[in-house]
Amino acid sequence: MTQQTIDIAAESLSDDERALVDDFLRDNTLFLAPDREIMRNHAHGPRSRDEERVLSGEPDPHALNLVRGRLYAALDETYDMVEQMGTAPGAKWGDLVTGIYTARGDLSAISPKGVVVFSGICHYPIKFIAKYWAKDPTVGLSEGDGFIHNDSRYGNIHNTDQSMIMPVFHEGELICWVSSTIHEGENGACEPGGMPAAAESKWDEGLKMSPFRIVEDFQIRRDLLTYLQNSVRDPKLQYEDIKVKLHACVRLIERIRAVIAKYGKDAFVGCLRKNIEDVDAEVRRRIREMPDGTVRVQAFIDGTLRENCLMKWNFSVTVKGEKMILDCRGSCPEFTNRSINTTLASLKTCLATSYLIYIWPDLPHNMAVFSPIEVLTDENSLLDASFDAPNAMSLTPLFKSFSMPIYAMAKFLYSAPKRYTSVYASHFNQPFTFVYGGITQHSEVTGNFCADINGNGGGARFDRDGEHAVSPIFGYMCDTGEQEFNEEELPVLRLVSQHLSKDRMGFGKYRGGLGYEQMITARDSDVWGFMTGGTGSFHPSAYGLFGGYGSPAYPLAKVKDVNVFDVLKSNPRQFRFDMVELMNEQALEGATYGTYHMGMTFEPAAQGEVYMICQGSGGGYGDVLERDPELVMKDVEEELLSPDLARELYFVVFDEATLIVDAAATAAARDAERKARLARGRPYAEFVADWCTAEPPEDLPYYGSWDDPKVIWAGQGETRRQLDADTLAGIMMPNPKDLRIAELEAEIAELKRRQAGA
Amino acid sequence: MKRVAVDIGGTFTDCFVVWGDRSVQRKALTTHHNLALGFNEALDTACQELAVGREALLSEVDSVRYATTLGTNALIERKGPKVGLLVTAGFKSTVPIARGRGYGEGLDPVAQMDIPNADRPDPLVPIPMIRQVRERIDYKGAVVMGLDEDDLRCQVRSLVDAGAEALVVLLTNSVVNPSHELRVREVFLEDYPAHMLGAIPMVLSHQVAGRKGEYVRGMSAIIDAFLHKVMYHGLGSLELNLRNAGYRRPMLVVHNSGGMAQLNSTDALQTVHSGPVSGIAASEHLAAQGLLGNVVATDMGGTSFDIGIVVEGGVKHYDFNPVIERWMVSVPMVHLVTLGAGGGSIASFDRMYDTVRIGPESAGSDPGPACYDRGGLNPTVTDADLMLGYLDPDNYADGHIRLNARRATMAFEDGLCDELDVDPVDAARLVKQTVDANMANGIAAELRARGYDPRDFTMLAYGGNGPLHACGVARNLDIDAILAPPFSSVFSACGAGNMHQMHIHEMSTYLVLFDSVAQAVFSDFRRFNGIVEALEARGREDLLRQGMPESAIEYRLELDMRYGNQRVETAVATELSRLESVSDVLRLMEQFHRSYGQRFGEGSQAPEAGVRINTIRVRASVSLDTVDFSDILPGDARLPPPEAVGERACHFVGVEGALATPIYDEAALRPGTTINGPAVVTTRFTTYLVEPGWQYRAAGQGAVWFLRGERAAA
Repeated sequence: MTQQTIDIAAESLSDDERALVDDFLRDNTLFLAPDREIMRNHAHGPRSRDEERVLSGEPDPHALNLVRGRLYAALDETYDMVEQMGTAPGAKWGDLVTGIYTARGDLSAISPKGVVVFSGICHYPIKFIAKYWAKDPTVGLSEGDGFIHNDSRYGNIHNTDQSMIMPVFHEGELICWVSSTIHEGENGACEPGGMPAAAESKWDEGLKMSPFRIVEDFQIRRDLLTYLQNSVRDPKLQYEDIKVKLHACVRLIERIRAVIAKYGKDAFVGCLRKNIEDVDAEVRRRIREMPDGTVRVQAFIDGTLRENCLMKWNFSVTVKGEKMILDCRGSCPEFTNRSINTTLASLKTCLATSYLIYIWPDLPHNMAVFSPIEVLTDENSLLDASFDAPNAMSLTPLFKSFSMPIYAMAKFLYSAPKRYTSVYASHFNQPFTFVYGGITQHSEVTGNFCADINGNGGGARFDRDGEHAVSPIFGYMCDTGEQEFNEEELPVLRLVSQHLSKDRMGFGKYRGGLGYEQMITARDSDVWGFMTGGTGSFHPSAYGLFGGYGSPAYPLAKVKDVNVFDVLKSNPRQFRFDMVELMNEQALEGATYGTYHMGMTFEPAAQGEVYMICQGSGGGYGDVLERDPELVMKDVEEELLSPDLARELYFVVFDEATLIVDAAATAAARDAERKARLARGRPYAEFVADWCTAEPPEDLPYYGSWDDPKVIWAGQGETRRQLDADTLAGIMMPNPKDLRIAELEAEIAELKRRQAGA
Repeated sequence: MKRVAVDIGGTFTDCFVVWGDRSVQRKALTTHHNLALGFNEALDTACQELAVGREALLSEVDSVRYATTLGTNALIERKGPKVGLLVTAGFKSTVPIARGRGYGEGLDPVAQMDIPNADRPDPLVPIPMIRQVRERIDYKGAVVMGLDEDDLRCQVRSLVDAGAEALVVLLTNSVVNPSHELRVREVFLEDYPAHMLGAIPMVLSHQVAGRKGEYVRGMSAIIDAFLHKVMYHGLGSLELNLRNAGYRRPMLVVHNSGGMAQLNSTDALQTVHSGPVSGIAASEHLAAQGLLGNVVATDMGGTSFDIGIVVEGGVKHYDFNPVIERWMVSVPMVHLVTLGAGGGSIASFDRMYDTVRIGPESAGSDPGPACYDRGGLNPTVTDADLMLGYLDPDNYADGHIRLNARRATMAFEDGLCDELDVDPVDAARLVKQTVDANMANGIAAELRARGYDPRDFTMLAYGGNGPLHACGVARNLDIDAILAPPFSSVFSACGAGNMHQMHIHEMSTYLVLFDSVAQAVFSDFRRFNGIVEALEARGREDLLRQGMPESAIEYRLELDMRYGNQRVETAVATELSRLESVSDVLRLMEQFHRSYGQRFGEGSQAPEAGVRINTIRVRASVSLDTVDFSDILPGDARLPPPEAVGERACHFVGVEGALATPIYDEAALRPGTTINGPAVVTTRFTTYLVEPGWQYRAAGQGAVWFLRGERAAA
């Protein structure tokens, strides 16, 4: 028997029936999933009636500027508060922010220091609270309420970041919102540290907090707090940082009240709104300054953290007048059982942050920076994943999103009449770090990540080399920390703390800044482990600009089955404080040496086993043959470049003992290489005919468009599929462990078969 | 009391002489090639006024004290020896990488955000001058890998061969176990004895900074080594100059910790920023003498605006990781914030917000503001002050600089008026309004971040432009009382003249007062007291070495405490000197609880996460005689204004049109003189701007007050 139903979306319904059905649906909503209307709109809304009333009177911009100065001083103050009081490693090293939003939830201002993306995305949950909870009789919205939130499907980068959001009332009227966000790390996911590469579903990813009220009348609800503490590995962290964020918000509210007391509510409301409108107008002016046109770039991610494959990140920027369109269509489809998917809101916020850090760093940080810019994506793609797709490691594609505008905008900026910063090859965009977990030497259970993530190599500039290990791709003034403090808190000893990595850089007329090697081992704990969760071990992460080289690829290296502390005691000269030497010489007796891709999921680490990673280099700028030979020698002298590469790559002829350049011989060597290049060159049509293929190589696990962005390729060999970009569905990957088991079972079967035959 | 105090700045050498019941201030140009010349000139003019010869004066004074920017200048100009650095193997790039963020230290926020243009400063130790030493100590002080002395000798030799003129040793965790650093020096001295010609100084990091943090400790030691020679020669020649002129006592050098010591008990690093810190010390002294309560010290000069905090009850505000030039270091330095707001700050049109932006660029003193007529084309704060009628074009800077009002107006017309669509005077008014608001916001952020309300403070305004902008700044903060202190033009020298001899020693610890996991309260009192005793002994040795009587030494214990694993670096000054019982521990935690709540808000405390002490710090000091400034409060006597020496049309923020404003001269400094604003008082060294709504009151010893509201009526 089949049940008859009517399509409640059908347009055949009368108006009355439609209203009845709408009421029925509203009253019988099973679950308030993220609101599509909110989540797909990154632009600020129109003026509210109150804002219109205030601003229609042509307020004095100089008076508003005084209010603005007060608000930024308050944001600065609260940022410092959170940084000082915070417990999470992220808070200690600057991975936090505070922000103020209009009554409708549009982000108006954030602390001048701090990670822009955090506040840049909080307007989504604020709008959700305003739309649903404020009017819900079981929730409501009152003075002193505080909402906690971390679910990126409702607006967040990933669920290690937790926000406190509070409404601010004046004489009973909601006048604004404030927020405070910290990258907390541990969140109860299937792996410690909050960024589970091994998650196969959203239920493996730990706490997923849609915004809910945890603070009433400025007090934390102990029942809910206890629940949250029970849900994570580090209850102390969960407790302390909720308190920290609450008190930062409370302080911000106090300052807002003082501003209103001095300048009046209208000046405050007007200032919040004008912040947005003025920045919006400025961004449109800046887009108009650029030449019209389209620039296309592509990037590739080389793994899902569980298996190696090539995922396409397709991107173009089109400028026409004051309009800018970022087109990400044709990119990789989502993976239904991998945690590397991202939501559209997260993507847009990271793209906006890229513009704020790398294109217009002088602009104030609010959502108007991105409001005039349109973003196009394929739904159910890696960049615009569905509600059910896991996303705890969304940073895998998001890290790339910071670079995409850099690649594309360099070409616009190069010919723009006015630039607001340097033309820049890409910053290294796959920050590497060790995520850790276990029981510390102080008997505390913990799980988090190291501040080493904050030292990525800077890209080369049009007029000079890139800076070494300068900041993470997503921030500025972030801190790599002090190892003496880290070792005091964690059972981890760095055999190599920071050692700039020789020869591993984006070469060019100007080279990218280098990253650094790290060697790490557990000490004073028998219950400890590490994961890395990165990509870029096969395909470079940062690309070069205008002829410069990209960064190299970086593996994870391990020396297992050894206690290096015994070696350091008994035969210390055997040990090499250099990743390449240690791995090449393999001098430690009985040890197992191996290199792996950077997507290592959590694994237990015995005391004295060595794990090694290398933070990456920024992209190079320009032709290596144009590099000043003296700069090449400087790199050799600083042991950043080997003499062989100076000769073979840069074609510099020099005396290795004195590093004195033979200018004439160098010029001749470079001329010869230019001629050799010409000799190697082929006519374009010939090259295209030979190089271009109708589809990806058959043995390459490939995901994304190949040529036509409407056709998405997925997989390899016989199982490869072509998908329609307009109707994408998620890709399900086999569990690598199942594959390995199958492999081993096949081997066993083969052995048995041979044994039987023998 | 007879005393000489000197502040050698980049431009002027300021001299403050106390001679019995008289105090004299004098200035001379700093003579960089030989600092003694400028000092002598300033001292000679003071001697003339006191009618005493230089030798006679120097033979009778109890001390000569120096604050100097010599070290700061040497860092900016990179004048120093070639420094070699020995680090623990695996930490070779710690100093070059500078915690990642090192590119932005000491820069304004806009430059910090500009990652594509990020550049680290030219290094004090270039990468080729860094060598690794094969050794390792863990966080508890246990030796993980012994020191490889053969390898060490090779590394030292290689640095010496590379031309190292000074060596720094930075070994990881040396503050908990210094044995390897000490052994490095022994090995070094075996090969390169100190008595040989060309002996190379070696600085051990744990002896410069006692706290953990290998990068900041390393930078402290590097700066110390870099400045050692220039400071030694500069200050040594000054001491010789004094000896030749009849001075027989040890010369005292002001430290950035707010105390002072003899030259042989001074690290070079301790002298950096000692000038501005002396200004804060002077504020502290005045606050104590005049019972002023909480004071925020502000120094507005030509290029910057310095802010310091002095609060009642003796709570000291330090930066434990201050930024010196472009590097973060580890030294307890009196908290001092510098904003880019001075007379030379350039005003520009902010197209985004359709208003005026001040700085961060500055015209400095060369070419200086447009009105200096030295080629400056940009409108500046001083140009605005001139156009608003506050400055006398013919008597600016004691008549040394003649101001050209036409130039100032042209700069405003060219740079601001068209875009703002206002006339030059209105544009100047906007500049004044904005710069005053910016300074006020800076003060507010500083005070509020430490849990204070600006309204509970008296503002001290000194520096060339301080008394000119004081009313505007205070209005924005709702502060009703401003003191333009006596000797404000040589205020840092005045501070040096009233300091005490002091040394601070500190040590990193991992000391859990309350373990919330084990539910245990600290009881290892012996360990705690042992550390305190050791730190006291070091301070005592310093002071005894300088001839201080042991009975006069006072100790003050400070603890950096935190909840759980927080980063807070709140120093808790405790009256306890030892822990003897659990109740002492509970008392300490209660004190921390109060202090934390005041700073971050009541209820923000989190003792449930545990309570820790990260650093133990002991201040050992000997109090010395100071100048009596008890007459600086505005008394009950009210004298009418003296006869005005002129009148100018002045323009004020918030007031339409011009106001006829009387101009007064030095006669207005007579104690009790009361003038209601608007008014301008121009003296030889200072211009006091009394804005409408404010009352000018002259007090004793040259102090001037700006009061309003109830404070004016009192």
